[in-house]
Amino acid sequence: MTTIERIAGAGVGLVALLALGEACRESRAAEVPQAPTQSSSAQPARADSAAPFVAHLEHIRPGQAPPRGTTMRNPYAGNAQAIATGAKLFVSYNCVDCHGADGSGAMGPSLADGRWHFGGADGEVFESIYQGRPDGMPAWGSAIAPNQIWMLVAYVQSLSAGKNVSVENFSGKTVERTGH
Amino acid sequence: MLALATACSNPERSPTTVPGARIAVPRDGPAGEWSMPAGDYSNSRYSELDQITAENVKGLHVAWAFSTGVLRGHEGAPLVVNNTMYLVTPYPNVSYALDLTQEGQPLKWKTRPENAQAATGLACCDVVNRGATYYDGRIYYNLLDGHTVAVNASDGTVAWRTAMGDLSHGETITMAPIVARGKVIVGSSGGEMGVRGWIAALDAKTGKQLWRAYNVGPDADIKAGARYTAFYPQNRGPNQGTSSWPGESWKVGGATVWGWISYDPALNLIYHGTSNPGPWNGVGRPGDNKWSAAIIARDADSGEIVWAFQPTPHDLWDYDAVNENILVDLPLGGTTRKALVHFDRNGFAYTIDRATGEVILAKAYVPMNWSTGVDLKTGRPVLAPDKVPAPGKKLSQICPSLEGGKNQQPAAFSPRTGLFYVPTNNLCMDFETRDVSYIAGTPYIGANAPEVAGPGGYRGEFIAWDATTGRKLWGVKEPFPVWSGALATKGDVVFYGTLDGWLKAVNARTGDVLWKFKVGSGVVGNPMTYLGPDGKQYVAVYAGIGGDMGLLIAGDVAANLPYDVRERGSTLPDLARWTSWGGELFVFAL
Repeated sequence: MTTIERIAGAGVGLVALLALGEACRESRAAEVPQAPTQSSSAQPARADSAAPFVAHLEHIRPGQAPPRGTTMRNPYAGNAQAIATGAKLFVSYNCVDCHGADGSGAMGPSLADGRWHFGGADGEVFESIYQGRPDGMPAWGSAIAPNQIWMLVAYVQSLSAGKNVSVENFSGKTVERTGH
Repeated sequence: MLALATACSNPERSPTTVPGARIAVPRDGPAGEWSMPAGDYSNSRYSELDQITAENVKGLHVAWAFSTGVLRGHEGAPLVVNNTMYLVTPYPNVSYALDLTQEGQPLKWKTRPENAQAATGLACCDVVNRGATYYDGRIYYNLLDGHTVAVNASDGTVAWRTAMGDLSHGETITMAPIVARGKVIVGSSGGEMGVRGWIAALDAKTGKQLWRAYNVGPDADIKAGARYTAFYPQNRGPNQGTSSWPGESWKVGGATVWGWISYDPALNLIYHGTSNPGPWNGVGRPGDNKWSAAIIARDADSGEIVWAFQPTPHDLWDYDAVNENILVDLPLGGTTRKALVHFDRNGFAYTIDRATGEVILAKAYVPMNWSTGVDLKTGRPVLAPDKVPAPGKKLSQICPSLEGGKNQQPAAFSPRTGLFYVPTNNLCMDFETRDVSYIAGTPYIGANAPEVAGPGGYRGEFIAWDATTGRKLWGVKEPFPVWSGALATKGDVVFYGTLDGWLKAVNARTGDVLWKFKVGSGVVGNPMTYLGPDGKQYVAVYAGIGGDMGLLIAGDVAANLPYDVRERGSTLPDLARWTSWGGELFVFAL
């Protein structure tokens, strides 16, 4: 399965899950006792009468935790060569002029402070690059090959690895005001 | 208090006036209103209000405050017309109308025009908006996503909304328009994105575009024709906007109009600056790159160029020429000249004949070393060879830095003293070019330019300048670049704000700091003053750090970390200790 197909599959599964959630809330509102087993009322509503395109009902139960979706993993995770290539791609695709030298933040957010606006997991960073984000991150999926996106993911994840940026302490070693 | 001590010990300080200096176009509206971004067409930022004086300003206190609901850089200033205050926020560019006649200043209306969020990722230097202008029952302002809107002052309804910029190529709009003879004058941002800069006029009534002039390209596009008269020989001949570029590089040549517009009704000329050429790495664009980094005078009705002048031909330092052009009549050489005074990013203050484009005087107003002076026979800077960027060269300590001796923060002029009050930066940079590809909608820069404090270690100074002699009269040194505009008043008190969040009042004649107040966030906006319905003089200023200099604080990135290599982090590593992000209007009264 290619990366793109996996993203599409995850999306369809999510739609089915949301439809099921609606059904469950409706049944609670009517104070219908919860069925411990699957019932026909939990079927996702569909406009056509054909068999459901996606049906995971064998492991979906009202009241249970939702099933986990597909998690994408970076084939280059921890690969030093890929990280080095990713650093070059970061400059070539002009990422550097938005996100700053070493991803330290400029027009776009810092990628080095461990504060991920849309998640820092492999797949989340991949999707931020592939699909773009509504706050101005362009969608690069049609311009950068998936393996290069994964190298970029490996690089930007490396920027905050091992850093603790949760505290900004202005006493002690703080750089004092210069001038006056 | 340290800044005060510095000012008091400044030996250059002495009471001075420049007899005969006057504002070219005094405003004709009520003295108690503020209907344009700079108060008047001349961009003087001078108010005739005089209740607040050097003697009583120490009694100034907060009268009220208003949260804009946006935590980004608040450049610009509110307007006051008909006892109503109009504010425009940074993206999403919400406008508010506050009723000043009622206690608590309740809203008359709030308007949030449709404004594409994608724009927030395309603006180089924070999602700022430099304000609205009022004309004939409407306020006019720009949206970051490239639209211009007219909003009815009576009820907040959007009278028209015109698409002007192309987001897909990185065009945004941040500047404050003016209205000249019923035409709304607007210009583009995106000089860091390889756009092709333009300025345009829209019919204030309908929003229909009346003319659009590019600043680079063939004569027909840039509107250089019969009326164009070059003062200097190197600017003569057809199609300067293409012949000074190799091939078609002008098509991504920058020269945007993100600064301030002034207007002289007697000459019917508007004056605007243009931004840096694209990309910063200039190896691929040998030539003067006209009319990037230029000051241009255009006919307000047709957009035709009447004259143009490049403070920095073939800019290699990101020295945009977008800073305001202040229109004044000055005593020079025994006569009164129709002048334009411009404090350029490149560190020179230019006194120019605003009818012809002749440079009368050009002197450094901040510490600088990239040029040894301006040749008045040509208007061109004499370059220091060791400060000229080129591929493979690692240059150090070029002053001023790419932020310029001054940036968007506009100066003020007082006819009472004849002096200009100028918020300045004192920064230097290292410079190293690198290869860059043009990818539409992404930055087109090609250089690294980390900055440090300039000579003396301070990073900003608020100065008084005599544009007839090219002399600094006094200065108040500041620990940070002074990124706020200035306000001059008839009470001989001058106001400015600081990045670390002080609003300060100084004596217009001596530079003594008379009063200061710490507002809720760093000041990058411009103080203004108005007369309330109660007959009292008020001073208002935005507190909301951001813009290019405060961008990283506005963006809430971590600061002051040992592995922090951010440009602002390395330039202003201590700023985050003194202020935090915000978005609030503070209003002061005696």
